[in-house]
Amino acid sequence: MQHTRIPEQLPVMEKLKILSDAAKYDVACTSSGTSRGNNGKGIGNCFDAGICHSFAADGRCISLLKILFTNECICNCRYCLNRSSNDVPRATFTPDEICELVMGFYRRNYIEGLFLSSGILNSPDYTMELLYQTLRKLRTEYHFGGYIHVKAIPGADPALIEKTGFLADRMSVNLELPTAEGLRRLAPAKTREKILRPMRQVQNRMEENRNELALYRSAPRFVPAGQSTQMIIGATPESDFQILSVAESLYQRFDLKRVFYSAFVRVNDDSALPALPGGPPLLREHRLYQADWLLRFYGFEAGELLSEARPNLNVLFDPKCDWALRHLEEFPVEINRASYQTLLRVPGIGVKSAQRIVKARRLGSLDFPDLKRIGVVLKRALYFITCRGKTLYPVKIEEDYITRNLLYVKEKLPPQLQGDVTYQQLSLFDDGMPLSFGEQAGLLAAEGQELLTAGADAGGAGRFV
Amino acid sequence: MTTIFVCEDSLDGILTGVYEAWDSRLGHENVRLQTEAEGTLELFCQYRPVRRDLEKAEKVLRTVRRRMGEKAREAVCYAAACTDERKADAIYRLIVLGLSMADGTKAVDCLQNPAVLLVEKLRYKAWHEAERMLGFLRFEELENGVLYARMEPPYAVLPLIAPHFADRLYQENWIIHDLRRGQAAIHRAGGGWFLTEAEALSALEKESRSGTEQEFQKLWQAFCSSIAIEERRNPRCQQNLLPLRFRPYMTEFGADRSRTVLN
Ligand code: SF4
Repeated sequence: MQHTRIPEQLPVMEKLKILSDAAKYDVACTSSGTSRGNNGKGIGNCFDAGICHSFAADGRCISLLKILFTNECICNCRYCLNRSSNDVPRATFTPDEICELVMGFYRRNYIEGLFLSSGILNSPDYTMELLYQTLRKLRTEYHFGGYIHVKAIPGADPALIEKTGFLADRMSVNLELPTAEGLRRLAPAKTREKILRPMRQVQNRMEENRNELALYRSAPRFVPAGQSTQMIIGATPESDFQILSVAESLYQRFDLKRVFYSAFVRVNDDSALPALPGGPPLLREHRLYQADWLLRFYGFEAGELLSEARPNLNVLFDPKCDWALRHLEEFPVEINRASYQTLLRVPGIGVKSAQRIVKARRLGSLDFPDLKRIGVVLKRALYFITCRGKTLYPVKIEEDYITRNLLYVKEKLPPQLQGDVTYQQLSLFDDGMPLSFGEQAGLLAAEGQELLTAGADAGGAGRFV
Repeated sequence: MTTIFVCEDSLDGILTGVYEAWDSRLGHENVRLQTEAEGTLELFCQYRPVRRDLEKAEKVLRTVRRRMGEKAREAVCYAAACTDERKADAIYRLIVLGLSMADGTKAVDCLQNPAVLLVEKLRYKAWHEAERMLGFLRFEELENGVLYARMEPPYAVLPLIAPHFADRLYQENWIIHDLRRGQAAIHRAGGGWFLTEAEALSALEKESRSGTEQEFQKLWQAFCSSIAIEERRNPRCQQNLLPLRFRPYMTEFGADRSRTVLN
């Protein structure tokens, strides 16, 4: 290693700058998933939906103090700023320094808690031990009751990972790249098996913990907010189909709470990395979040949205709209009879409006004005639905016709994509007018809860209206 | 002739109005509720001022909770925090509806009823504001260790957010000051919180901060600027999610008067 070791005495301010800068590419910043009151002894509680405390200049939510324990890393992953071959300033916190920062920030209501990741100092075990010591101090000496998200270091002793998990709300192991081949190319020190092993361990331990909790309500809780992971999008040539299939199997086979997608930012000048002249692939990231949303809440399967023959998501339409256009034989559906699952598949109908429809139609049959009140986006839905057997206008159920018409309906992209070049090109199709401020604000107001969490999670998860 | 009950613009004021209007036995269709200083005087109406009465207000709220459920109670509290001039009457109508139903918990779902819909809309507005305040509020540590926060929210969300901080910062002495309404919530370490008029607090604004306060503010500012990814820079998006009106009291946007050097 050619970098010079920075002396411990580096001021906390310098360490904070270096180690937050080094942690910023990790997208997960949500503080959701745990609800816990103050234990009466110390400071802190957890709020189930998560709370955003600020927004950075890139529009991403700041909820947790997101830092690395150290960026002195023995590995040389090619996409990473902290790789051992880079000549960047290095720093390592002490557990006490982190505790002081967390407490000082938390008392002032700057943060919901801590997101602690790390480069690998000396060895995985050595690093994991430091993370464990930090959490132990924070929980038992500083009596911190707020949110903690910690990384499990692949290759570390399972016993250490387990001990740490009992102190954290969420644990994550980053998948980094969607396929084993991608890892081989860009992160030779990591293998798929090495990454999946701690993921499996956390999953099994959570399962056991559920049984313990069923027996003894006061049993200590293991990773109560569940496990998440992250994939870098666009550093390697995987298709959206591959990526979504991986995500799907992670949800199904590893019981993950969330999979995060991180548009690749080219921080290293390395011939193995793609050039990305248009900047990080933000629209692609957004489409993946939307598709991910469909997997988790709308009952879709990856294989329905994409296939070997159509391996990438449509940039023009959100994935649900795209699916509907390719399955016109299933439409129109009758609002007063269609099952909840069917309603969910209609463009313009979200989870909330589908639930409201099912509830409201028990009291009497619904017509278009009712749908409008319920929150259905009629200008999108109208091609796909009937009320009491009638469509809103005389429409043709025909792909070209609907496609043309839908292109004129502005898609409400999240503000994260406002400056996106690809989107600006696309907006040629929708009246040539990007979304106005007012429309954005309206969008925010309309989907407050969902957006807050979505924004918190990744700076722009998929939402459907 | 319609009788208009004019109540104080506060949750307790409105709930007292609900009690009085109901108790008057004039018939629901013959009464209306209105908050003070709102609306123009109408001819052919009789105005009846309502004096805020905590006991009556408490009774109404308990009844709402028991017969109409927690969701309705919350909706009433949040809607009352808004500034809409129709809110008092809408709350009254919602309660009348709920108490007339076999299952009062269904009342909040009757969105085809304009009063219920209005309460729901107002609830959402206040909730959204309160939710953001939970995150955007900033405490500063005074020399005596007390945590002090300032805000100027458009709606009266202080009583809605105080319980959250009472739990979270249970072992701390803290004060949240609503400068717009001249109100403060005060919490004693290990105890409860209460709401008070804040005239006496104006001195706090100028009181000196603790020795480490400035250090933590600088650390936080450094963190906020280094955590942003340059390649994804998007101030417009930032502003959509965190409108300028919140920023005057937020540390990371240069809220502290002692830090003019950094601006
Ligand atoms: S292990 Fe790889 S990705 Fe992680 S800090 Fe080290 S070089 Fe970066």
